[in-house]
Amino acid sequence: MKRLLLLMLSIALILSFGNAMAAVPVKGGSLIVCQPAEPPGLDPTGNTAAAIDRVVFSNIFEGLIKVNSKGEFVPGLATKWEVSPCGKTYTFNLRKGVKFHNGESFNAQVAKWNIERAKDKSTTNPHPEYFRGIVKIDVPDDYTLKLTLKDVDALFIAHMAEGDAIIMPVKGYENTKSNPIGTGPFKFVKWARGDRVEMVRFNGYWNPELPYLDKVTFKFIGDASAQIAALKAGDIDVIGYIAAPESAMEMSRDKRFKVFSGTTTGEVIMSTNNKAKPFDNKLVRQAMACAIDRQAVVDLVMFGYGTPIGSHWSPSTPYYVDLTGKFPYNPKKAKELLKKAGYPNGFDATIKLPAIYSYSKRAGEVIADMLGKVGIKLKIEIVEWGQWIERIFKKKEFQLTMIGHVEAWDIGIYANPKYYFQYDSQEFRDAYAKALKAPNEAEKSKWFGRCQEIIAEDAVNGYMFSAPSLPVMKAGVMGWWENYPTIALDCTQVWLKK
Amino acid sequence: MTRYLIKKLITLLILLFLVSITVYSVLFVLPGDPAQIMLGINATPETLANLRAELGLDQSFWHQYTDWMGNLLTGRGNRSINYDMPVYDLIISRLSVTGPLALMAMVFAIVISIPLGIYAARHQNQKGDVSVMFFTQLGLATPEFWLGILLILLFSVHWGIFSAGGFPGWSVSFWGSVKSLLLPSFALGVIRASILTRLTRSSMLDVLREDYVRTARAKGLKERTVIYVHALRNALIPILTILGLQLGQLMAGAIIIENVYYLPGLGRLVFQAIGQRDLPVVREIVLFMAAAVVVVNFIVDLTYASIDPRIRLEKM
Repeated sequence: MKRLLLLMLSIALILSFGNAMAAVPVKGGSLIVCQPAEPPGLDPTGNTAAAIDRVVFSNIFEGLIKVNSKGEFVPGLATKWEVSPCGKTYTFNLRKGVKFHNGESFNAQVAKWNIERAKDKSTTNPHPEYFRGIVKIDVPDDYTLKLTLKDVDALFIAHMAEGDAIIMPVKGYENTKSNPIGTGPFKFVKWARGDRVEMVRFNGYWNPELPYLDKVTFKFIGDASAQIAALKAGDIDVIGYIAAPESAMEMSRDKRFKVFSGTTTGEVIMSTNNKAKPFDNKLVRQAMACAIDRQAVVDLVMFGYGTPIGSHWSPSTPYYVDLTGKFPYNPKKAKELLKKAGYPNGFDATIKLPAIYSYSKRAGEVIADMLGKVGIKLKIEIVEWGQWIERIFKKKEFQLTMIGHVEAWDIGIYANPKYYFQYDSQEFRDAYAKALKAPNEAEKSKWFGRCQEIIAEDAVNGYMFSAPSLPVMKAGVMGWWENYPTIALDCTQVWLKK
Repeated sequence: MTRYLIKKLITLLILLFLVSITVYSVLFVLPGDPAQIMLGINATPETLANLRAELGLDQSFWHQYTDWMGNLLTGRGNRSINYDMPVYDLIISRLSVTGPLALMAMVFAIVISIPLGIYAARHQNQKGDVSVMFFTQLGLATPEFWLGILLILLFSVHWGIFSAGGFPGWSVSFWGSVKSLLLPSFALGVIRASILTRLTRSSMLDVLREDYVRTARAKGLKERTVIYVHALRNALIPILTILGLQLGQLMAGAIIIENVYYLPGLGRLVFQAIGQRDLPVVREIVLFMAAAVVVVNFIVDLTYASIDPRIRLEKM
């Protein structure tokens, strides 16, 4: 008996030791990450393209605040921040001894300059409104930054943690588009246009323990089957962010590779023109919501990867309310609602699908079938991306379309009646204003929840699923993020098992 | 000869001017605002206006056109919106991939097609000819991308001899670069060889029926001399014409193969630039492509004369 106990104890010890061994990161090595889209320039403050942030944000550039893999706001270039009781003044304690890759020093004056640049009249920052609320910037000393807002802004910290709020050096910022200089763990080396972006470990990084890798290369391979072939042939180590769902399944069975299935900030929605007939009728929109089997959409379009949603909010963003039960799949009720709306025999409509997104085209076909069953006959029109931007987004010449909205915290688009789906609701605008001015967590949770409910009840758009993160990598790649609560492929803590 | 050259040059200039106007107008009315595409769907109207002003998109058609032409003619060049570098440099760097790719593909095509075509012509309607015709038919029906993927699966994934794609760069590794172009150029070459083989065969068959071939044989020349010196030389004219067209096409970039092998070539560049409305890039590449086709055809014209002395360039 004693012997058995001893044996079991020693086995347990060996096992736990083995696990501990596996969990200790090793320094060194080089990682090649595949990214489908090549970024249009490398400046996150000049363009909203997610491809830019995925390459440079958190790797080359940092902001005052970072988002960690769990979606929490953690210290970046600010070590600590405090909000005044009135909710309008933020005091940031800045990190000391931080250097930019070009040797410039970071301090409160630099942070101030960055904010002023973002809110300037001639700015090309896609989101100057994030900074416009700041009415006063004080620099009491070199490492303290005090920002006074005009109003309480519940999303202020969230916005300061996005790629639009990165900190650039005062002298070395001009060529950011082709030569980004930041304070991040990796230093930009080269952008071979059309092929790859290379970066190496920045030895002067403020956290001497990080990063683990010596070199990271982002390689741009658009074709889904070419990505898988490259991974299998050993040309790349990771398909970052998302692989084609059909190949993810196949790769998960291969022992040499591993597949993560996590969440992102993105929502795939069937955008509906709320001013176009017959979609200006709430009953029609609700009928469509009832006619769509969201789990089936996820299964058919994404091979089961992805989470059904009931409103414009991703499960990975705080204050999420599960509203998938609001309009559960019920074709019978859909027909009743259509009858009530005055369309007992249904109607014909057109759905315009952007050609560059395969999920959108697939989802469009599935939806056309589902809506067809309740009498709404959809004609599918495939539209080139530039045309989509012009005709659907700017001129609003559409009835239905299918698109993923990748930004977190973007429910505010529903407060703008001129936004392409043209939703106009005073009730929503009031709720959103209250959410933005919420003084505490409980109020934020209440009003952001209310916002989600209002648009779900109004069935403004067809809410499909939250886009999955579906990275596929060699089994030896450790520390890769499973979920993407922010738009970045953060390689700071990634390491390679020898 | 000089007169011919001058005539060709003037034609080229007029052509390029017409192309420039056409390209500019078409892209001008093309839906899709480059600034909006850059900024995405969440940007504020103010930012959009600022970017439009920065890119000069708020100017009139003629203002923008003369600006562009002025930059081109004075050699100041235009900059790519997305890549933030002179379009001229961008084209040169992409040509260092597309050029060798096109040439290697043509080498594959010629090496495969000429001997096969001659062989088929000499054995007309026999077993060898029939099987050559069968395989060329198959080659014509094979889509490039499919052959490309097949080669990757075999040589990269299964055997691991080649990388599945990508291009290291000539300065990084010369042989690595050559190696990375082998599979894609083979895929391109085989498909083009199918057309050329059939063309060589029919062209050779025509020539082999000519009186002078019979005379050559009758005077006791070796069969090799008859075929390679007398017949092939005369059969080459139509082959060269098609070869020139194919090369011109390939120089403009092999969009699909470049995507399958993710090569940073000209085809992928223009494809991407159209999607993202990087208009300065699209305009200049289209101009370049037009010029490339004209120049290649011009070279083909010159070779006609060297192959067939009866052809005088002045009369063309």
